[in-house]
Amino acid sequence: MSGRRERSPFLSLLAPLLGMLLLTLPATAQVKPPAAAAGPTAEQTLALGERMYRQGILPSGEPMSSIVSGDVQVAGTSFSCVSCHLRGGLGSWEGGIVTLPTNAARLSIPRYWKFPNLSLEERKELKLQNPAARPAYTNETLAHLIRTGRDPGGTDMHPVMPRYYLSDPDMAILLSYLGTLSAKHSPGVIGDTLHFATVITPEVSEDDQQAMLVPIKNYVQRHNQFSSGFGNRMYLGVGGNEMSGAYRKMALSVWRLQGAPDTWGRQLEAFLAKDPVFAMLGGISYGDWKPIHDFCERTQLPCLFPVTDLPVVSDTDWYTQYFSKGYYQEGQAAARYLNGLDDPAAARKVLQLVQDTPQGRALALGFREAWAELGRSPIKELPLPPEGALDVNGLAAILSQEKPSTVLLWTGDSAYPALDALLRKGSLLVNAFLSGRLLGARVTSLPEHLWSRVWITYPYREPQLEPKFSAYADTLLAGLTTRHPETRISTRTYAMVQVLRQALMDMDRHFYQDNLLDRIGMQRDQFLPDYLRLSFGPGQRYASKGCYIMQVGLSPAPKVAPGPAPQVKPVQVPVLLRKSEWVIH
Amino acid sequence: MRRILMALGMTAVMLSAQAPPPYTRTLETYTVPDVVLVNQDGTKVKLKGLLDSGEPIILDFIFGTCTTICPVLSAGYANLQAKLPPGGPKIHLVSISIDPENDTPKVMRDYLKRYRAKPGWDFLTGRREDIDKAMNAFNAYIPNKMSHYPLTLIRDPKTGKWIRIFGLMSSSEFMAECRKAGLL
Repeated sequence: MSGRRERSPFLSLLAPLLGMLLLTLPATAQVKPPAAAAGPTAEQTLALGERMYRQGILPSGEPMSSIVSGDVQVAGTSFSCVSCHLRGGLGSWEGGIVTLPTNAARLSIPRYWKFPNLSLEERKELKLQNPAARPAYTNETLAHLIRTGRDPGGTDMHPVMPRYYLSDPDMAILLSYLGTLSAKHSPGVIGDTLHFATVITPEVSEDDQQAMLVPIKNYVQRHNQFSSGFGNRMYLGVGGNEMSGAYRKMALSVWRLQGAPDTWGRQLEAFLAKDPVFAMLGGISYGDWKPIHDFCERTQLPCLFPVTDLPVVSDTDWYTQYFSKGYYQEGQAAARYLNGLDDPAAARKVLQLVQDTPQGRALALGFREAWAELGRSPIKELPLPPEGALDVNGLAAILSQEKPSTVLLWTGDSAYPALDALLRKGSLLVNAFLSGRLLGARVTSLPEHLWSRVWITYPYREPQLEPKFSAYADTLLAGLTTRHPETRISTRTYAMVQVLRQALMDMDRHFYQDNLLDRIGMQRDQFLPDYLRLSFGPGQRYASKGCYIMQVGLSPAPKVAPGPAPQVKPVQVPVLLRKSEWVIH
Repeated sequence: MRRILMALGMTAVMLSAQAPPPYTRTLETYTVPDVVLVNQDGTKVKLKGLLDSGEPIILDFIFGTCTTICPVLSAGYANLQAKLPPGGPKIHLVSISIDPENDTPKVMRDYLKRYRAKPGWDFLTGRREDIDKAMNAFNAYIPNKMSHYPLTLIRDPKTGKWIRIFGLMSSSEFMAECRKAGLL
């Protein structure tokens, strides 16, 4: 259960009632109510209420049932409260339909049409006389709204809001949950400042640390300079007061981890206990992000766009928003491309040769899972040593024995010389897939006689189109002495900052950690450095969904201008040529 | 007295602000684009062949993680399927994704499962430019998926024209529109 929820006064009134009601709950529920003799705990009650809100499942284990649009029957398993009101409860706006907040802090005060975000104290201070659209909810009026769609101000909600059939005991459990949902600001909101942290794992070089830290620190510094005297200087009107109430300074802590990854969770918990923060911004590691991901899930701490190519791939985890699935996504793209080729010969017999590294394993896993999802039979996989040049004779023997139509060679630098040697030995190599990210800057140095046989997974925008997008990142790089654009650390950090800026504006003064992630989920598509497109949606945790399949070839010949032929013939150089869509289905 | 009248007037405005606009119904002629999309099983589908097949067709544009409109549209589809008598007329329900990057066949399969979709309801995804062509062809293009609107298109099997319904219908209104179009 959430550690950040606070009891609101109207939950206290419910407690005795819930104690009686929960005794009658059947034991079939997955989140089981407590034994009758022990009595229900608040945690158990809230878990049942949370399940109703998020999954649309009653304490009995049955789906909640409701009516929308007058007479359309809906089962809670199709959609539930969270679908529109979102996880933080602050609601959404989509297609002209506004879903109002349903969190405790907003339900417990009147709603106003004008300046709805001002607190009651601010309204009093500003002598606002606007009538309330509705009074504060009581348990009775909120139950009435959930059942009938009519609020205590007499307004009928839009018919898209489900009208729920709920028994009194079930209603009490749902209300108990709503009484805790985003009731008080999350940790890290201290006075007029939002506190953030970023995390660096011990193996990261000084240059790479600075490539991430400089743009974040520059952003925080500018934000704070801009916010100096914000309320008084710019916003003297009532609307200004409302807006300035949403504005907070920012503070950034840098959490440097030490030692082995299995100790990072404890180190991070110690950091967080000493220095409560609202979210982690970025972060960088060369290795598996899992220890940090798990810490964020455990402590319900949002982490925005860490610089990692080894994220945790999950359909359900919530608290880390990644750029992409990293190496895993390249493996997926290879599977989908191979599956969709018009000529099925290449997919006849596929062999994965996997360097025994986290990167190699992630690539292989992405391919394996996507291949299975496409309904294909499992393929053979063989491990390769984690380091050193590839054993060409050994590879030739494997190819001779297996006779694959396509080899997935998930290794780094050693792949090109090995493939070259194999072909010169007259090996049976037909087609190969390599990882563009593992090959790095040398990706276009593939020997020419291999160009037509080698497909390269490339998870970024086409290189020739990239400069005009990446150039924007320079605006946050003042003070960065050593630049390594090929690492894409600064550009990815710049992209994180852009999404954060928008999310902070959209979050308004509703400083709840789930709301931060909800607001990112509602953002429109962004076109930022590195990835062709970042897209969002409630619960979508990998913003870049694409990965090109490329081949090396000569750059297209420049168009010849009318007039005399140029004396110097334009040079065509090896470049990456796109062979697929950005997203392959 | 004046204050009371003002309060009553304000209440009426507030109520009307919340009341949904009635759906609008127009008859349109559309040319289905010649694009290939992918359904929830990963099978390639020629959109023109599917929509111009002459069988009763209903079409909408949705996406898997939509918050408000799509769930209601999809609940309408599910209710319609549930109300069709066994052995009676078959209506092919088609949903085209407006978030093709996220809506993979697996995501679409899971979505249909959530709505207890029966055979005869296909969810299609594809290349973004093909999706854009489909949206444009039905005058449904939106640059940002969060700004999309509720639209249901019913193909009249006799004339090949499309009944364009803008807005959300109740289940009984949906059935009545299907009857009016000759689908039931």
